[in-house]
Amino acid sequence: MKHTLSILLQNEAGALARVAGLFAARHVNIDTLTVAPTHEPAISHLTVVIHGGEATLEQIVRQTRKLVDVISVRSLGQLCDVGYLAGEAVRSNAHGHADNHGKWQQSV
Amino acid sequence: MTGADVVVRVLADEGVEVLFGYSGGAILPVYDAVFRHNAEHGNGDGRDAMPLVVPANEQGAGFMASGYARASGKVGVVVVTSGPGATNTVTPVRDAMADSIPMVVICGQVPTASLGSDAFQEAPVSNIMGACAKHVFLVTDPGQLEATVRTAFEIARSGRPGPVVVDIPKDVQNAKLSYDGNCRLPIPGYRARLRAVEQARLGDDACAAFFAALAQARRPLIYAGGGVIAGAAAPALRAFVDAFGVPVTTTLMGLGGFDTTHPLALHMLGMHGTAYANYAVEDCDFLLALGARFDDRVAGAPGKFAPCARFIAQIDIDPAEVGKVKRVHWHHVGPLAAALERLTAHGRAHGTRLSLADWQAHVARLKRDHAMNYDRASPLVQPQAVIEAINRITQGRAIVGTGVGQHQMWAAQYFDFRAPRQWLTSGSMGTMGFGLPAAIGAQFARPDALVIDIDGDGSIRMNLGELETVTTCGLPLKVVLLNNGGDGMVRQWQKLYFGQRFAGSDKSLRRKDFVKAAEADGFEWVRRLADKAALESTISEFLAFDGPAFLEVMIDPEAGVYPMVGPGASYAQMVTGDFIAAREGDSTVMEAAPVDSMF
Ligand SMILES: Cc1ncc(C[n+]2csc(CCOP(=O)(O)OP(=O)(O)O)c2C)c(N)n1
Ligand SMILES: [Mg+2]
Repeated sequence: MKHTLSILLQNEAGALARVAGLFAARHVNIDTLTVAPTHEPAISHLTVVIHGGEATLEQIVRQTRKLVDVISVRSLGQLCDVGYLAGEAVRSNAHGHADNHGKWQQSV
Repeated sequence: MTGADVVVRVLADEGVEVLFGYSGGAILPVYDAVFRHNAEHGNGDGRDAMPLVVPANEQGAGFMASGYARASGKVGVVVVTSGPGATNTVTPVRDAMADSIPMVVICGQVPTASLGSDAFQEAPVSNIMGACAKHVFLVTDPGQLEATVRTAFEIARSGRPGPVVVDIPKDVQNAKLSYDGNCRLPIPGYRARLRAVEQARLGDDACAAFFAALAQARRPLIYAGGGVIAGAAAPALRAFVDAFGVPVTTTLMGLGGFDTTHPLALHMLGMHGTAYANYAVEDCDFLLALGARFDDRVAGAPGKFAPCARFIAQIDIDPAEVGKVKRVHWHHVGPLAAALERLTAHGRAHGTRLSLADWQAHVARLKRDHAMNYDRASPLVQPQAVIEAINRITQGRAIVGTGVGQHQMWAAQYFDFRAPRQWLTSGSMGTMGFGLPAAIGAQFARPDALVIDIDGDGSIRMNLGELETVTTCGLPLKVVLLNNGGDGMVRQWQKLYFGQRFAGSDKSLRRKDFVKAAEADGFEWVRRLADKAALESTISEFLAFDGPAFLEVMIDPEAGVYPMVGPGASYAQMVTGDFIAAREGDSTVMEAAPVDSMF
């Protein structure tokens, strides 16, 4: 099954490589990867398409959220996001850039 | 001040009391700043404010920092040069990541203008370490240096701890900077997730659901892992057990998280766990996993792990560990100590009384009938007897480091561990060569404690150069080498699974004289022991020696580690060997396992 992940990432040295490297190390194959700028220059928006079962998806989402420069992760059209994690907390965070994720979500 | 001064100032502000590292061209400015810092901030007692411990190899520095961190709970700090200095620390960084140990590694790097040019001693540290560490920073803007180093400490010690690498080009170390004293990098995603996890509190409903299930249980068991130690939750665990009487088994990493001499302690579970702990796992109908992750050395066959447990509860600081291996019926993500305190308070407030007398008696019978045992009648020195003899004197209070192999498992099985942070072992990575440098680091963390390295002849060879570090630093470390003439654990698997073909694991014809090696490195008390009758007296003399001491014990090369749950096997397939009683119907000998199904 294909899954699409939307990731907001701080634009730090090596950040993209760490995301891609995490997927490779955890044996999750990336089908497509797009990187786009956001209205906030310090933040990039990644769209990653992977294939795998629900357990694979859930695990890779949780592992991606452990990367320090990842601001938020959404699995589009999946329910695995309802856990304990702080997509919400990020959105209300003072830096404000994660608003982007909220907006972007609504447009999908 | 320079960038290098800024680095040292942040280290001082973070309370760093010792550095482990090796110098080189790309880190020289930081080394010079450490020298000047120590010259300016003398303690008055002749000791440096921030002593620099120089190993034989940067891998040694990494494991020293790890041993320091494991024994103290503080962040261990490594300072190394670029290229080979940095790559020599890859193994300890990965090891610390796998065991959730807080560490900060400062690496020199070629100047920013030379990055990516195949410069002398250039290595892609950010790429390499990014795959191994909790996080890695490459500092290219000197203005970010102070905030980066401070943030590295924050990341290393927060949440699930881990190693953070800071790669600092030489020009950044030489930049002229001023000191802010407070600045940090913005890491909004990490901090928001951390805050959410750290503020997560167990609600009344969750507590009620937990106790509703526990009240139904007749045979509840706690399975406690390294998270109990990392989360400083040992007192809270003890209070929970005192309140409700649930027996406890711990993982290899959890040893010391619950006093192993407690009547309800079942010592270690898993591949080489005690038979009684593994039987209790087979028998339990309720399992509470605390800071434990159902690793393959515990749950080699996850579907058959704790097969009678109708309810599995899990508490962890890391959301990714919940349900990763085994489905759980109840979970909480948050700090373990707070969660256990909340559960205990809730249970007490609601007058929860569990009637576990039958189960406790069952557990006591398991401990009696399936106690650890070995070939006591053999004329050869048995490794287990060596550990028992040491333990009779140290009474579960020594700090024990190990290499990896059979000796590591015998130490885990036969020592008592009364408190957290006494047990230093490379659990997840299983890195040979860990023991000696880790014990050195621990002795820096606990200068007055008795620190013992239980090592193997294969493992100690890997960082043998650090013997000299022991005497150079004048540490009263005790090194016990259990010499079985080779890679015993590998030989054990080759015996069981590869028809006794000992490819590459037999070192009985090697010429190494460890006694001479220790003497050459300045050990004053050095002894080789092969006579069983002299065991007790030698051990007491060895431990009583006031200074570095080295004891090589020539052990029975055929001694095996039992019990054993084979790789990928269920606990029902546990074999207990010739000296530990198995339960009726269970086997004491290993069935041939298909080689392709194991790891
Ligand atoms: C760095 C490293 N290389 C290889 C291994 C695989 N390995 C695990 S145990 C072992 C043998 C260890 O021999 P020794 O230190 O003498 O311990 P013993 O089992 O004999 O007590 C080996 C080679 C490892 N764990 N670590
Ligand atoms: Mg050996």
